[in-house]
Amino acid sequence: MTEGSASAVLECRDIELSFGGLRALKGLSFDIMPGEIFGLVGPNGSGKTSLVNVVTGFYRPQRGSVAIFGADTTRMRPHRIAAHGVARTFQNLALFRGMTVLDNILLGRHVHMGVGSGALATLFYWVWAARHEVAHRRAVEELIDFMQLQDIRDEPVEVIPLGLQKRVELARALAADPRLLILDEPMAGMNKEEKEYIARFILDAREERNTTVLMIEHHMDVVTSICDRVMVLSYGENIAQGKPLEAISEPRVIQAYLGERAAKRHVGAAA
Amino acid sequence: MLYRRAGIRHTSYRHERMLWPLPFDRYLVGTIAAFLIVAPFLIDRLYLVAYLLPWLIWSMAALGLNLLMGGAGQIHLGYGAVMAIGAYSSVHLVRAGVPFEIAMIAGGLASAMIGVIFGFAALRVKTLYLAMSTLAMQYIVDFVIAHVPAISGGTQATIQVPPVRFLGLRIEGDIATYYFALAVCTVVTLFMLNVHRTGFGRALAAVREKDYAAEVIGVSTFKYKLLAFWTSSFIGGVVGAVLVVCYLRSVSPDQFHIDLSVQIVAMVIVGGLGSVLGSFFGAALILFTPIVLNNLVASIAAGAGLSLSSDLRAHIPLMLYGALIVGFLVLEPLGLAKIYDNVRNYFLVWPFRYARK
Ligand SMILES: Nc1ncnc2c1ncn2[C@@H]1O[C@H](COP(=O)(O)OP(=O)(O)O)[C@@H](O)[C@H]1O
Ligand SMILES: [Mg+2]
Repeated sequence: MTEGSASAVLECRDIELSFGGLRALKGLSFDIMPGEIFGLVGPNGSGKTSLVNVVTGFYRPQRGSVAIFGADTTRMRPHRIAAHGVARTFQNLALFRGMTVLDNILLGRHVHMGVGSGALATLFYWVWAARHEVAHRRAVEELIDFMQLQDIRDEPVEVIPLGLQKRVELARALAADPRLLILDEPMAGMNKEEKEYIARFILDAREERNTTVLMIEHHMDVVTSICDRVMVLSYGENIAQGKPLEAISEPRVIQAYLGERAAKRHVGAAA
Repeated sequence: MLYRRAGIRHTSYRHERMLWPLPFDRYLVGTIAAFLIVAPFLIDRLYLVAYLLPWLIWSMAALGLNLLMGGAGQIHLGYGAVMAIGAYSSVHLVRAGVPFEIAMIAGGLASAMIGVIFGFAALRVKTLYLAMSTLAMQYIVDFVIAHVPAISGGTQATIQVPPVRFLGLRIEGDIATYYFALAVCTVVTLFMLNVHRTGFGRALAAVREKDYAAEVIGVSTFKYKLLAFWTSSFIGGVVGAVLVVCYLRSVSPDQFHIDLSVQIVAMVIVGGLGSVLGSFFGAALILFTPIVLNNLVASIAAGAGLSLSSDLRAHIPLMLYGALIVGFLVLEPLGLAKIYDNVRNYFLVWPFRYARK
């Protein structure tokens, strides 16, 4: 580990990931500091989700290392990384169908349940598991109030609207009391009001729960208003990094988004 | 009013997660429990031994398999073999002088250990392939039991179960065996009911529904799949021990063949995947329909002056299981439990039909 980065929440060094011949991530390095809301942007297929999958243990990078709170997690399985205080949501919802909203969010508490989620605790429910269940239920109910999900608590997740499903998934991630929260396009397909709700939840999570956030987001208005720093990817390369407004107005970024000719026109028009 | 949901107020989270929040359900369960307790003095001894006792035992087996199939979503076509391991282990231990309390648990542990090996197959393969690997395991266990004289006493051998005591009480005669089976069944049932309201059950369901999403919230799919096989096999082993001590009174290899495995799978599917109540329904239907049907066919045949070969009559139950499984998979995949639920829901909201779920 390098000097001075010991306090970083997430530290990625020289991440290299290929699928067969396709180089999805080309030597990415970046740090996320405690309390930051760090935006990850870039055109479709630029490798954002792949990077998150590397950080959460779903993909093994061919080269490079990932450290979370100073611990090397590069070769860890996802559930071990979750135990390090990392929670995430998925671009395409990953809720558990057939279960209620409440049970889905309760599952977010799993990392804190220990032997309370074992077979023996279940057998001796009345003297063992019940205590755990009630304690975790309290934590979850707080979150349900916080995220305003009271009315749909007992509904099966598959029957509620998509926007609410995304909110439930965020609640499930927050239920773990994560120190690092990773969100993959949490506002995809939402209208303005819903987007504002989610943005507020993310800001509140940072204020009240001391969560550091890594967020993939397409809506530039959201990125510029809530992210402290962003990294812009294009074809698996880091093409800009820094304060949101500065980073997304760099010529290389405009070019990546709009294509070369359009970018020239854009720059010309601005001049 | 017994059916009404309205008017029930929960005052604590613990209260809300009660097993039966509705008074109606509590009365129903209480009535059935009371009936089962006084049954030996109420009904004919023949019915007790020929119907009620096997129903309890097979329901337990269905519950154990349902933990795996309904709870964790893993198919298992070798549950009969799992029960055989528990049955043989406990009987040998009892014959060696080990107290039955210990022998029964040891039988469960033996099944759990070997059952976990089935589980390792589940880590690598899914659905149809898992069905095939568990089926293969069934035949391997059958073969080993039959061909190792130290276990079976020889291919054709039958080992008698010596008289046993449980916590000082002799398990002997119809009434004692019935009560013993009822007691074990109660423990297994309560465990399975609790699974539906603890982190254990939720983690299994998470692995069943979406393994990557389970991983991301910290549920090790590896651990919980194996745990599901371990626990389910442990129950299977204990049920095997109860089966031979209370019902069969002797062990021979042919009692635990593929027929038994298929029978229990049928109970789980017909009763309803993941449903505790359904396991009891399924066991009743699968155990008793063939008997009823056989008698019916026999009397019709006799009435019509036809003579049916005993071979054909022996195959009627198997054909029936097949038909029931296919029928339920197509028409009501959630089984008898779902049908009961629909009826119950109808009365819960009657006459406000629009409020029906
Ligand atoms: N599992 C995979 N197998 C093969 N190629 C993949 C896989 N995951 C992502 N890719 C490829 O990697 C590139 C980056 O994809 P992704 O990370 O999903 O982009 P983004 O999230 O930025 O839209 C794409 O070209 C995609 O096709
Ligand atoms: Mg993506």
